[in-house]
Amino acid sequence: MPTLNLDHFQTSILFALLSSVILGLTTKSTDRERLRYGAQCFGWFLLALFGISWFMKLLHG
Amino acid sequence: MKLMPASTAPAVQQKPIRSPWLTVILAWLVPGAGHFLLGKRGRALIIFACVIIAFAVGALMRGPMFQPTTTGDVLSRLIQTAGFVGDLAAGLLYFIAVGLGYWPADEPTHMSDYGSKFLVAAGVINILAMVDACEIATRQKD
Repeated sequence: MPTLNLDHFQTSILFALLSSVILGLTTKSTDRERLRYGAQCFGWFLLALFGISWFMKLLHG
Repeated sequence: MKLMPASTAPAVQQKPIRSPWLTVILAWLVPGAGHFLLGKRGRALIIFACVIIAFAVGALMRGPMFQPTTTGDVLSRLIQTAGFVGDLAAGLLYFIAVGLGYWPADEPTHMSDYGSKFLVAAGVINILAMVDACEIATRQKD
């Protein structure tokens, strides 16, 4: 069986993308709102990802 | 004393579009099938793709499935049981994978760890889709 070797960053981005799509799709009522909310969620995921990454880097030196 | 006139407008009780039970069961078994049944084909396709991608990535990363256990401390049992529910929520994908012999060992690598989380994520995404389909079927949302 083939295997997929993604690193931490790639895995996090993929998870953020899939989660944002579904959150946008299931929580809003119009296509415009869905797109906007999905993009917003993805942006927050990325911000949290980079924020936590830098925090850990600074914490560990 | 003035009597209030009885309301002439009868209480309108809207019938569900489809049986919520049928919709939820179909949505569980085949991701996106609930929305497809309700005529939301675009959304059905996106849900199907998201669940398939999450599950495939988890399986290709050789993520182990969770299994409920009666041994260990309370937290471990809780994590195993919740993880099992998440795995099971992927519907037929779970049964097909296990039926085909997919049961990798839990290895201490980041790939295995992320893989198991992606398998659970596929189920959780499907749960969100099931709730959404149920709400559409009962006319709580469009």
